[in-house]
Amino acid sequence: MAFASVDNAQLAWQQLGEGPDLVLVHGLATNRAFWFGHAMRLSQRFRVTLFDLRGHGYSSTPEHGYEIRRLGADILGLMDQLSIPQAALIGHSYGGAAAIEAAVQAPERVTAMAVLDARSLLFQPQMWLHEAPDLSPFEAEIAQGTEVDWPREPQVGLRFLEVAARRCLAGQAPGARDPVTPFGEGRGARKAARQWLNLIEQTTAWDDFHRPGADIPALRSLSQPTLLMYADGSRCLKSGEGLRNLWPAARFQLLEGAAHFFPLTHAEQVVHQLFDFLAPLTLTEA
Amino acid sequence: MAPDTIIARLIALLEDFTQDWDQEPDAGMSADTLLLADLGFESVDIIQLTVAIEEEFKLFRTPFDKLLMKDGRYVDDLSIGQIATFLQPYVQAA
Repeated sequence: MAFASVDNAQLAWQQLGEGPDLVLVHGLATNRAFWFGHAMRLSQRFRVTLFDLRGHGYSSTPEHGYEIRRLGADILGLMDQLSIPQAALIGHSYGGAAAIEAAVQAPERVTAMAVLDARSLLFQPQMWLHEAPDLSPFEAEIAQGTEVDWPREPQVGLRFLEVAARRCLAGQAPGARDPVTPFGEGRGARKAARQWLNLIEQTTAWDDFHRPGADIPALRSLSQPTLLMYADGSRCLKSGEGLRNLWPAARFQLLEGAAHFFPLTHAEQVVHQLFDFLAPLTLTEA
Repeated sequence: MAPDTIIARLIALLEDFTQDWDQEPDAGMSADTLLLADLGFESVDIIQLTVAIEEEFKLFRTPFDKLLMKDGRYVDDLSIGQIATFLQPYVQAA
């Protein structure tokens, strides 16, 4: 099994294919399996590196280091360990925010950046229930019968994950299913739920997740080709609109009728868009 | 390599793979054992297992998406026998 020592963490990674380098970065409470299907397809033309963020999947769970700047540095540290001088970064959710941080820290090493439904703390320091048009069936069931004051909860995305994990471990997993349901994978879900609760209870992750990353001038200075993909049904859309205003040259795609986990529910569309966006990299290589 | 041999090697690999897991002891693995329902796998375990399988059988660039994905999503579950059937042509060629 392949692990890379980066800072105080052991990061589990794997590579597929040959060609210009891509690094795929998953979001919170998931793991590199999120990107595996896309990676298999992209590996027809690229060398694709997948890894588990610290505290996720098969990577270690150090006590510290979950702020977005550190996760951005982890991407660069992994690239160092794997002797990848430059790569295009593709990140979903918190992984997209980490990709942005990596680009700020070493712009010369990031050939292109695809940011999929990432929340930026610059534009959304809090995340509120009303920022999505509707509650999903799973969220609606999770929200019932809890003591959380959901309309006043300032970190609704993280709170949903926490409550879902606790209910999973208590044997009270909701019957409702979304197209992608956190901790909804049968017996394996309990393992994932336990890992998530361990992360937020035993490490500094919960506070770290809210520490700001790069400021607006630093973000504005980025000039690599950028793809922003956001879902019209996602609470993160406000961040997408903020980033779009910051980077007028970025390609912006709004997915209609989609929600936060659209890379899984709309995998074909996402892969097609990524191939199209990344095509100039393969021309350079040739 | 005979299918039964592949299954036996997969079972040995899976016993090693899951030895530290907090699992109730099962009756033992067979071709019908399911990764998710019986062994408590989640998706990342399946991905990690594909890496271990390539090491075990000295395979390279196995198109595991054909086994694991359907219409861009993970299949609901997989038996050890299904994995062995999928692997057989690649193991023969290796």
